[in-house]
This record gives sequence, structure tokens and C-alpha cells, in this order.
Amino acid sequence: MEFKLEAHRIVSISLGKIYNSRVQRGGIKLHKNLLVSLVLRSARQVYLSDPCPGLYLAGPAGSPAAPPQQPGEPAAGPPAGWGEPPPPAACVAWPETEPQPERPADPAPPRVGAAEPAAPVTGAGDALRAGEMEEAEAAWRRVEGPREAAEGGAGVFAGAEGPRGARRHCGCPPGGEDRPGALGACPRVDCRCAPRPAEDEPPAPPAVGPRKRGAAGVGGGPAGGPAPGSSPLKKPRRNSEEQPGGAEEEEEMETGNVANLISIFGSSFSGLLRKSPGGGREEAEGEESGPEAAEPGQICCDKPVLRDINPWSTAIVAF
Amino acid sequence: MELKKTRADIISTVEFNHTGELLATGDKGGRVVIFQREQESKNQVHRRGEYNVYSTFQSHEPEFDYLKSLEIEEKINKIRWLPQQNAAYFLLSTNDKTVKLWKVSERDKRPEGYNLKDEEGRLRDPATITTLRVPVLRPMDLMVEATPRRVFANAHTYHINSISVNSDYETYMSADDLRINLWNFEITNQSFNIVDIKPANMEELTEVITAAEFHPHHCNTFVYSSSKGTIRLCDMRASALCDRHTKFFEEPEDPSNRSFFSEIISSISDVKFSHSGRYIMTRDYLTVKVWDLNMENRPIETYQVHDYLRSKLCSLYENDCIFDKFECVWNGSDSVIMTGSYNNFFRMFDRNTKRDVTLEASRENSKPRAILKPRKVCVGGKRRKDEISVDSLDFSKKILHTAWHPSENIIAVAATNNLYIFQDKVN
Repeated sequence: MEFKLEAHRIVSISLGKIYNSRVQRGGIKLHKNLLVSLVLRSARQVYLSDPCPGLYLAGPAGSPAAPPQQPGEPAAGPPAGWGEPPPPAACVAWPETEPQPERPADPAPPRVGAAEPAAPVTGAGDALRAGEMEEAEAAWRRVEGPREAAEGGAGVFAGAEGPRGARRHCGCPPGGEDRPGALGACPRVDCRCAPRPAEDEPPAPPAVGPRKRGAAGVGGGPAGGPAPGSSPLKKPRRNSEEQPGGAEEEEEMETGNVANLISIFGSSFSGLLRKSPGGGREEAEGEESGPEAAEPGQICCDKPVLRDINPWSTAIVAF
Repeated sequence: MELKKTRADIISTVEFNHTGELLATGDKGGRVVIFQREQESKNQVHRRGEYNVYSTFQSHEPEFDYLKSLEIEEKINKIRWLPQQNAAYFLLSTNDKTVKLWKVSERDKRPEGYNLKDEEGRLRDPATITTLRVPVLRPMDLMVEATPRRVFANAHTYHINSISVNSDYETYMSADDLRINLWNFEITNQSFNIVDIKPANMEELTEVITAAEFHPHHCNTFVYSSSKGTIRLCDMRASALCDRHTKFFEEPEDPSNRSFFSEIISSISDVKFSHSGRYIMTRDYLTVKVWDLNMENRPIETYQVHDYLRSKLCSLYENDCIFDKFECVWNGSDSVIMTGSYNNFFRMFDRNTKRDVTLEASRENSKPRAILKPRKVCVGGKRRKDEISVDSLDFSKKILHTAWHPSENIIAVAATNNLYIFQDKVN
């Protein structure tokens, strides 16, 4: 039990660090955030594996190995991760309104299951959902930031919150959102934004929004598309920019909800989850690739509703 | 959320030049201060050469990358000297993104005797000039000027943590979290990428580069350390991109020491070749290790710097101290190694006698010519009179940067914003 409390505390501290790292001078430090993520993972494993009744812990203990990700990261995929589906967390937070069938088989049912029981159990269920929603939104909003910004450490964009008012269910930002570069109407050209029946809940956070796939990226933010000369990147950053922004919302959440965060984040630690005992390099997992898994041309509404939100992985993926 | 106010004069790097005549420090404000050892004079035989300020200049300024909406700190991460080849001195200094080559030269003469301008400096009407006066060089007060000769920019997406001058004196490398670039001193608009560990999917990222250094004699060989506690030795002759190492140094983890923070404390914060080139030394959070280049599976020596912190890792994680990056240095003969700790303590380990000592850099204890008294940290039980208990250690006073004179027993220790220079007692 002490381990669990300790783990819980460490998770809270770690999330706080990730949150704070966004506002540090000089940008996000990749090394430090990587180390924090390792601690977070360890604490999470302990937290989830320590059987302890009475704690609103998500589904199957020791979160199952993340299932192979869906479409996963195409090796030399489309230039953008744009068009990523809305993160699942928001949907996860609304179990009763999230018809499972909307999800493709892949995303771990356990993950959903994990979050679902949690929501009703927590006393602050609604608050939790709202919080998760916000963080999911925040993470997604960040996706619109310039690639390079995320690369260097999402400075300005890390901040996230924007109008959280009614959003279209597909995650496109409501008209008039004042993000830099955001277009007014539903920015995703291929988003039908058809009202989804039975969905009343706050819609999933905006998808990558204004950025179009392909070359002429409408700047989703100040940086627009990746500036060719500005970074020696070899591959386009598909996994977009799930910046550490998710964490910013967590800060406002009570630590009592951390358990749910863990189950949500858990699946995000793709590469880290399977650290082999020998300590060798981790295998490349295809899963949890989050947004970038989108096929080009995929319509956001069709995207699996339950996608793992990777706000955590954004901390290290931010670059 | 609290903002830590960091002072601009906190020293962030210390480095002797190849002769030990000069000592350079860089600070968080982007300034470089160079000290020069005064020549020993016959009049003061017992007064070993002391170090006095020789030059001060602003190396880096804060920048804002508009593209990334990201502020670039001006803090000097590393300074490395070039060997002296003429009257001027050259050094490399780097912040997170840009490396600069500085030339430090002396001017002690000035031309005088121009008659083209009048006393107020206005040009005289050529018609009034009737004689040709050739200016004469006259002595003037010594002036040391630093000029930036090269700026190597825009080659690093991540934060530069190391620079290292190659033994060929024509090239150097700069390393950031995921890549290492090779530069030629004469060419600033391009560099060769020689190591790239960035995964295709950043979510698969599991380790970063933490330090890198060229071999002192073999210009084709370099090492880089990782956050996973491993060291890779690479040979640039093998391929253009040295993603595949020639040697891989890793010590198996001790399962009994496993904790939430095992990975953090195994991250290597510094790696240094011995002067001989036969060994490498690495520093992680709690230990210093010496490795023989010919044995990859474990270090030949391991020294505990402050093992009493092992039970405090959670607190150190909370206050961020666990992320402190301590450096380590060899003495000139590779027989003693030194590294810093907390409470302004620093430690020296004699590799031959296996003796070690803990010393403190503080004003109270260091009057000029006073002898440093060895310190001791009391781990448990009864504390002796002049021992310090672990709980009274001041974790805000950390010695991250130290330097050892290349041939003499003179050390420079940076304690926050103070620089201490200690010399071995004569006789």
C-alpha cells in the first residue's frame, strides 16, 4: 500500500514537472522530460500492479500491453500527421455516450474499460471528465502548433486553453476560435462535422485543424509548415505535436484523479512500456502513434473515437 | 508554479587551456571570463602564479527563435580551447544552439603620429598638409580584445550539451540530445552529421545523448554517452554516419538497487577521456566510473561520490536535484579524478592508493593560503563534531563544474557564482 501511495505521489510530481517544463526558459528539455517520463512509467506500473482494493483503479491491473496500433506510423507516410483523429480521452471520459462500436477493434478495449469504470467511481467524476476533456483538447490544440515549435519545445503554443465552448463533435474547433492561424469555420476540409446522434458531450478536442495535409500547409500556427532550412530533421514529424500540453490541464486536476490519468496515459508510453530487462533499446512499437496514424484523406469523423490520447508522450514527442 | 530566479553570474562551465596559463569560465548570462596566471617573478618565489582576470566578453546573447516561438538561453554550456598556434588564443564557446569561435588577442602598441586629423579628430583639409608623417607604434596599456571569428549556427534542433576539439585541430564536434555534428573550423555554413539517434517515431525515444568527446590522439575516434548509462565509441573511418558503434560500454544493472529512479541515476552526465587515451571516465548521479577502452562489459573502477543520497532519491527528484549534471575531470597524470557534490563539497579519488577526500569550497573555510580541511558526511548514528549530517547538506550549493590544470596540481572549482582556485601546497 505504501508503494501505491508513493507511486501515486510520484506520478503527481512527475506530471507537475512536465507541466512546468513548458514554461521554462530555453524551451523544453528533452533529456529531462524523457527521464521524468521513465519515472512516470515506473510509478504507473507500480501503481497499477499493486493490488489494492478501494482505489478507483482502472480496469485490468497492469495495463495490458498496448495493442498494436492501428494504422500506425506509415513508414514514409504522408508528410503530415495532419488529420489526426481527435484524441480518445475525451471520449473515454464519457463511457455512456461513447458507443464502443465507433471504435475500431484496435484501441485497447482494456484502455477504454480502464477509464470507464473509473469515471463513475470517482467522486469528482464530472470534474474528472471535464478535466480530461480539457487536457485532451489542450493536447490537440497543440497539434496545430508549428512543427518546429514542437521540435524545439513548444513554447508559446504549449499553453493551450482556448475557448472550450461547444465544439464540433469531430473535434474541429468552433468557429471563431482565436488560435493563431486557425480558420474560422471547420478547418478540416474533409470533416463533415455532421451532428452525431446521441452525443451531447463536449465534443472531442479539435483535430489538427487548420493544417492541410500535404505541402501547402496552411499555417496552423506561426510556423506554418516545417521550414526547410530550420532543422535538420530527416523525417516529417508525423506524431505531431502532442505536446506536453496535456499536462498543463492535469495540473488543475486533483491528484485523486491521477489514477485515471495513468490509465489514459499508460497506453502512450509505447516505446517505454516494453523496456526489455536487458535494458537494450526498446522496440519500436507501432502503437500509440496517436494522431499521425491517420491515413491521408481520412475523415476525422470516421476515425476511431477511442484513440489513445498521448498528452504525456507529447512531452517528449514535442520536438 | 514558482519561478526560480537564476542569477546571470552563475558559472556554467570552467576550462583550462592546454598549457594551463589561461582559465576560462562561462556563465548563465552568456559571458566568458578568462583568467591568466601571472608569471612567477623572482621577487616572489613563494608566491605561485595567481590567476587574474585577463579578459571578459559577452559571448552569447539571449535569442528568440521566432519560427519555433522559443527562447534560446544565452547560458554558456561549454568552453573548449584550441591549442595555441600563434600569439592569439582561440576558444570555442557554445550555448544551446550556436557555437562560436573566439579569438582573444593582446594589443600593447598603438600607432601614433597620424597627421591627417586635427586634435579633435576632424579630417584636415588635404591642402594644409605639407609633410608626410609615418605613424609610429608606441606602447600602450595592455588591451585584451576578444573577437568572434566564426559563428556556427543553425545546425542543432535540440540543445547542445557538448563540444570537443579534434586532435587534428581542424575539426570539432558538437553534440545535442539526438545528434552529433562534425565541423571544420573554416566552414560555418555546413557541418557533417555523424551520429543521429532520433527515432522515426519520437514516441519510441528511449535515450538521448548526454555528452561526447574526441579521443585525445586518434582523430577518427570519439565517444558519446547516453541517458541510459551506456557509452558508445565510434570510428569515423567505418562509415560516414556513425550510428553503429565500434564499442559499446555498459554495466549490467544491479537488480537490488532498482527503484523508481534507477534510470535517472544511471544517466551519464559527463564523459572524459584520460590524457593517455586509454581510459574513459563517466559520471552518473551517484558514482564516477573508470572504463578501460578494451573492456566493454563493465568499468574497471567505480567510486561512490555520495552514496548516502541513495535513500533520498525521492526528495531529490522532487526538488529537481536528481537532474543535476555533475562533471568529472582527470588530473594531468590520470592518477586522480575529481568531481563535485552538494554543500559545495567536491571529491577527489586517487586511483592508485584508492584513497579519497572530500573538500569544501566556501569562503569561510578558504582563506588565502589556508589548507583545505577534509570534510566528512555522517551517514547515520552518532555524528562527530566536525561531521555534517546528510540532512543538513545544502542542496542549493552544488559543484557541477571543476577543472584541473593540465600539468600541475591546480584546480578550479565553480560554486554557483564563485570560482575557487586551489593550488597544491608548495613543499
